[in-house]
Amino acid sequence: MLTAYAMVGVFFIVAIGFVVGALLLGRLIRPNRMYPEKLQTYECGEEPVGPAWFNFNPRFYIVALIYIIFDVEIAFIYPVARVFRSWVNQGLGWFAFVEIFSFIAVLLVGLAYVWLKGDLDWIRAIKGDPRGAQGVSARARAAAEPAPMDEAA
Amino acid sequence: MSSFLVALAPLLVVGLGGLLLMLGEAFAHRERGGSGPSADLAIGSFVTLAAGAVVAFSLWLVGPENLGGAAGVAPFLIIDRFTLFFDIVLCVGGALAALLAGGYLPEHKLDRGEFYPLLIFSTLGAMVLASAGDLLSLFIGLETMSLGVYALVGFRRGSARSAEGAVKYFLLGSFAAALLLYGGAMLYGATGHTDLAGIGAALRGGTLTGADYGLAIVAMVLVLAGLAFKVSAVPFHMWTPDAYEGAPTPATSFMAVAVKSAAFATLLRVLVSAFGDPASMSWGTGWPPVVALLAVMTMTVANLVAGRQESVKRMLAYSSIAHAGYLLVAVVALMTQPGIAQGSILFYLLAYTVSTAGAFGALILCGSRGKEAVSYEDLAGIGHRHPVAAAAFALFLLSLTGVPPTAGFFAKLYVVRAAIGGGFLPLAILLLLNSVVAAYYYLRVLVYMYMREPAPGAPVAAPMRSGYVTAALLICAAGVMLLGLWPTRSLELAIDAALAAR
Repeated sequence: MLTAYAMVGVFFIVAIGFVVGALLLGRLIRPNRMYPEKLQTYECGEEPVGPAWFNFNPRFYIVALIYIIFDVEIAFIYPVARVFRSWVNQGLGWFAFVEIFSFIAVLLVGLAYVWLKGDLDWIRAIKGDPRGAQGVSARARAAAEPAPMDEAA
Repeated sequence: MSSFLVALAPLLVVGLGGLLLMLGEAFAHRERGGSGPSADLAIGSFVTLAAGAVVAFSLWLVGPENLGGAAGVAPFLIIDRFTLFFDIVLCVGGALAALLAGGYLPEHKLDRGEFYPLLIFSTLGAMVLASAGDLLSLFIGLETMSLGVYALVGFRRGSARSAEGAVKYFLLGSFAAALLLYGGAMLYGATGHTDLAGIGAALRGGTLTGADYGLAIVAMVLVLAGLAFKVSAVPFHMWTPDAYEGAPTPATSFMAVAVKSAAFATLLRVLVSAFGDPASMSWGTGWPPVVALLAVMTMTVANLVAGRQESVKRMLAYSSIAHAGYLLVAVVALMTQPGIAQGSILFYLLAYTVSTAGAFGALILCGSRGKEAVSYEDLAGIGHRHPVAAAAFALFLLSLTGVPPTAGFFAKLYVVRAAIGGGFLPLAILLLLNSVVAAYYYLRVLVYMYMREPAPGAPVAAPMRSGYVTAALLICAAGVMLLGLWPTRSLELAIDAALAAR
């Protein structure tokens, strides 16, 4: 039993030893000539501009999060589809159907929520920001409205 | 086939209520300048969670052993009196937080509808956690609860302090969950079971080889560490003050009350069902010395640090850590007095829920927009400016101290009695000494409220008035007094629930 875990242990030791060894070897044989440009933060070859703490648009993350709704849905429906026939043969077809349907319904509630809240609109109006106000549905604007929570602290 | 729906009714009621409220909020048309989401959702959430508690209580009256469907969901969800007791405690904690939010969020310009569904689904996760009898459902419940709470902590989006608390809580919480999962994987490797009863049977059977037994011991330590994080026992408490301080106060109340109760529920279930064999429960070869060390550190460190805090909210955060320490003393007493110790823990959690939620509610009433009453100085003279809030705050702090006619006194009494009866006199003495230390910082609030006046020229926090918060305070005050004046009946219920878990 324990010998099976020994493989994992050896793997870990080799992995750690590889990294440590490579870094150590590099440290021993590389020349050490530092100048200011070398010590700068690497930013794709450009000179770094401004501080790292700034606001950026989170719309990609929102879309990625919403995508997870569908992703998880597929991941969970697939096994059900796989065993559905055997459930039908056991006389539990309706049970399985209702169960998976309520699962999808719950996820659809989440989808409906983000849709109605305007999170599926690529262009959203932010309060006090005249840009992007065109092409936004009235509902999205209304949804974006009650968000003046940032001044409280 | 559908009888299991009855057994799961408390969970289903809360879950469905949360979904409906979420849809209602999404379809609601709100005019600018009109009432915010809190006006509708606070009451809705309160009703949903109160309904969950009522359904759980009616299942209690029917008797979970009479429910045919309860066996159908075991071992993933165990529906017994232990579960139902915690369902009630958790729903009460969540419902009180919803009421507090109804007053707090509009006042502090945080009025967004998301708060309430997150709160309800976190409560649902906590209920699943309390009823989980399998490591898999335990983990699902834990994550459902935690994900909602992470978001609640970061709810004050513009505040750096809130973001700091949320990120800290999220990172450390994920780490603790990973420890727990790793321990679970090892337990499965050692025993071949994921259900707690099966793990317990394998350990009790004594059929494990030496290596597997060692693996199970390591797993026990990892699981214990993961759960100690959730109950915020020292040395796993580092996130607690920051997360509690950064979160909006209703969310803080929810974390201190419901999250902690659910974590204790699952800690009890894991220790009793999975690690309840004689070897694991003995002082020489099992978990009691580890838990005793945690209890001593938690009580002492938390009380000493709490006395040095200048922010009342932070003081309450450390006080909630200290209370986890007192509860861990009773967990140690499980070793020799399982029934009485569990009963005392359950009773303590009930008393602690109403006292702590009430204390946070009173703290909300003492502050207002842009000026949360955070420091002791802010509370100076509040006894004259806002007598109701001050009186309520005093009552709940006395209960947390453990002064006789309140719930906190009997809660502490039963824990001490269980510890002494179990033969842990030093732990009981330490608990009492710590209560004396705690009285210093609880009573300090009373001194500031009634005996100090604000310094001339200092900004005075205008107290707020809110029907929601007042209602929550009334419920808590009623609970504190009921449990304090007639503790016997509820202790009997708690012991009933405790015995059912074995």
